[in-house]
Amino acid sequence: MSADKSITDTTTLVRRSLAKRHAAEKRFRAYGIFAIVASLSFLVILLVSIISKGLPAFKATYVNLDINLSAEALGVSESPDRTELRSASYNTVIRESLRELFPEASSRREKKDLYALVSNGAEYDLFDLVIENPEIIGTTFSLWVLADDEMGSVIKNGDDLTNPENIVTRMNENQLSWAKKLQDDGRLDVRFNTAFFENGDSREPELAGIKAALIGSAFTLLITFSLSFPIAVAAAIYLEEFAPQNRWTDVVEVNINNLAAVPSIVFGLLGLAVFINYFHLPRSAPVVGGIVLSLMTLPTIIISSRAALKAVPPSIREAARGLGASDLQVVTHHVLPLAMPGILTGTIIGLAQALGETAPLLMIGMVAFIVDIPQSVTDSATVLPVQVFLWADSPERAFVEKTSAAIMVLLAFLVAMNAVAVFLRKRFERRW
Amino acid sequence: MNKSAQEAFDNLTETVGDAQVDKPKMRTENVNVFYGTNQAIHDVSLDIGNNEVVAMIGPSGCGKSTFLRCLNRMNDTIPSCRVEGSITLDGEDLYGPDLDPVLLRARVGMVFQKPNPFAKSIYDNVAYGPRIHGLSSNRAELDDIVTDSLKKAGLFDEVKNRLDAPGTSLSGGQQQRLCIARSIAVSPEVILMDEPCSALDPIATARIEELIDELRQNFAIAIVTHSMQQAARVSQRTAYFHLGKLVEVNDTKAVFTNPQHELTENYITGRFG
Amino acid sequence: MDKLHLDQHISHQFNKELEDIRNKVLKMGGIVEQQVKDGLQALLEADNDLATKVAQGDYEVNALEVEIDEECTQVLARRQPAASDLRLMVTVIKVITDLERIGDEAEKLGRFTRDLTAQSSGMPSYRKELRHLGELVKSMLHDTLDAFARMDVDAALTIVQRDNDVNREYETLERLLATHLVEDPRQVSQLFKITWCARALERVGDHSVNICEYVVYLVKGRDIRHTSMDKIKYEFL
Repeated sequence: MSADKSITDTTTLVRRSLAKRHAAEKRFRAYGIFAIVASLSFLVILLVSIISKGLPAFKATYVNLDINLSAEALGVSESPDRTELRSASYNTVIRESLRELFPEASSRREKKDLYALVSNGAEYDLFDLVIENPEIIGTTFSLWVLADDEMGSVIKNGDDLTNPENIVTRMNENQLSWAKKLQDDGRLDVRFNTAFFENGDSREPELAGIKAALIGSAFTLLITFSLSFPIAVAAAIYLEEFAPQNRWTDVVEVNINNLAAVPSIVFGLLGLAVFINYFHLPRSAPVVGGIVLSLMTLPTIIISSRAALKAVPPSIREAARGLGASDLQVVTHHVLPLAMPGILTGTIIGLAQALGETAPLLMIGMVAFIVDIPQSVTDSATVLPVQVFLWADSPERAFVEKTSAAIMVLLAFLVAMNAVAVFLRKRFERRW
Repeated sequence: MNKSAQEAFDNLTETVGDAQVDKPKMRTENVNVFYGTNQAIHDVSLDIGNNEVVAMIGPSGCGKSTFLRCLNRMNDTIPSCRVEGSITLDGEDLYGPDLDPVLLRARVGMVFQKPNPFAKSIYDNVAYGPRIHGLSSNRAELDDIVTDSLKKAGLFDEVKNRLDAPGTSLSGGQQQRLCIARSIAVSPEVILMDEPCSALDPIATARIEELIDELRQNFAIAIVTHSMQQAARVSQRTAYFHLGKLVEVNDTKAVFTNPQHELTENYITGRFG
Repeated sequence: MDKLHLDQHISHQFNKELEDIRNKVLKMGGIVEQQVKDGLQALLEADNDLATKVAQGDYEVNALEVEIDEECTQVLARRQPAASDLRLMVTVIKVITDLERIGDEAEKLGRFTRDLTAQSSGMPSYRKELRHLGELVKSMLHDTLDAFARMDVDAALTIVQRDNDVNREYETLERLLATHLVEDPRQVSQLFKITWCARALERVGDHSVNICEYVVYLVKGRDIRHTSMDKIKYEFL
């Protein structure tokens, strides 16, 4: 009887606490869902804001001009050689065609406003065209040239030029009415902005491109990867598999862990002091940036590689050793392949960190204004996050969209890198 | 431990039974093993004869695995481990300056408690040893070694159509036989087995035991096991370890019907010990 | 290993099972001993009722034998006993066979006694010789069961030697009966029955020797069957 009674007691007691436990479980689940929804919505807000701001940067406004390319206007002889063509005045030709379109601009001030409708880059386009086809001198043809950023923004945004008072722009009334006329004549067109991916930085927003920073980032990461990956993996293998357990290895271990927590700007100072001032490596160059970022990435990769090595079951090591494999063979044949996915994950985390790093690069001069595309790792260069930083600092309206667009490119770079890592990891993991 | 058994252990100065055999494959004499200052093995002398299976039994922590691992110097990787006494393989000192542990492990193979195939194909698992030791000069020879080893391990018929499947895709018992095939592929002279069946079901265990009996024709085998029935089934001689001492070693049939030492008796009959 | 420590297993259930089997064997021994005693008494006192009771009282022993056999099988299957436990199982299985045979001999004793008393005539009954043989065998059986209960090797070995006296006594009686038979062939049937009774008693002695040998095996782990007594003495005494 008493046993029966205690059983029923237990049942009721458990049942009573059960409701509480289920409620706690539900609450916990709700917290989790809330956290995920919150972080997702932040991500969405971020992405939407960046993309909506950045998208216009991938478009550019072009103006159609009737170019009367007379040798006289160019200020060259009837059959000019290349040197003559190089010093010819293409600007004059462009301005002439603008004046032909809008003869009403007569005062000096009005003319200046008129010329400001077209980008400074237009003359370079014309220059390129003429250098390649000198025979077009003396002919009249129509040419699409890049518009200036102010008019370009207005047109890209699709602002209604019939109501100029609603448009937020630095263009004046004359410029707006000319723009309307150009639009009405079908002389304005919005196309994909190839310049953004082909040019280096520029003071003119419509000419500024991401390519220099992209190449700079690629070079820097290449240096970072090729330095930090082998060194870090070797260090991790030595510490995990070969090093004797004594006070020295303890000290090394503690220091590696501490190094991972050192602010990145300290590495920049170190790079400046050691690599530039002492070794006289070139300033602003990806090679120095890469070395500095490797220093910063090393502890991350070492720590994650050691964790990956530690996760390889000891039975595999014993099996190999029991067959007579030497210590090095045990590591290279068995442990390393099994640890590779983990090591790659750590490497990618480290490299992603390096890709987004600005502070140490500022210290070694990678913040310079770089117009030319770097051709090698010793050329002056800048990197994507620094480019973002630079553009975010610029006052022109068009640079806002450039900034967002650069961030998008940076994110795309990151995603691509991760994709490569995932692919590699899958390949290693497929070897069971 | 009851009082008389405790006394029997305290008074134990030498092993009961015949620790030595004629023409041993491996001979250990007065082996002491220390982990730091902690002595794990006390004065153990035990021979492993040709073509015989020596089973080592004893409660957990009695030092049987430690002793087994001394026989191919697997304890080398533990920095605090120190081995004293003499262990010889065909009269050659295992811990002598001339003997490379890599060579030793090619001569003394080991099978572990948990099946631990490499993350490679079945073929590569078996071919791994011959490859690193350079035992074959061409692919055909290697194929022969692999086939032969798998046949000896009684696994060939089950896997012959999927030699390139991963070793880990096999069942537990098959994996353990793969590990045995892997060990015998380097044609060792002695095979050490550390509880090879403890992770297997009875049918797989029976297969492995059958295999051990067949392997005895060509190898000397030392096996550590927690299952006394298994020791009784597979071994010719049985050694009973207790708290780091070798209490008794004798013919298996004698040990399991009429053990000489009280501690052995207590252990194999499941009495308070 | 003089004591078997049957109560020191880690498994209490196992201890209980072994104890139970041992007790049943001792109980069976007690019944068999009583049977032999009764049979002998009936023979010596020509007690027809007692003889009938003995002749029909075998079923209890047989039932016990089957029961113990079953329990031993269970232990073998479930406990896989080793060393002394294994020897105990083997010994028990053999001991109960011999005990059952002793029971059979007692039954025969009862049956022949019943026949003898039925056709009693004035012939000599050889009561003195039979009593002598019977007492020898009875005490031997009693001591055997005692030695088994106490796992006493020394006692067991002494009992093995005592069988020689039994055999001598039996042979003497057999010679007497043979002489009588030659002298008076008319009483052949009765004489044979007396011979068979003596034979049954002698067999009880042989079975007791077997049981003693099992006791030595159980305690010492050595099989002393078909071994010369000198050698056994040299080894154990």
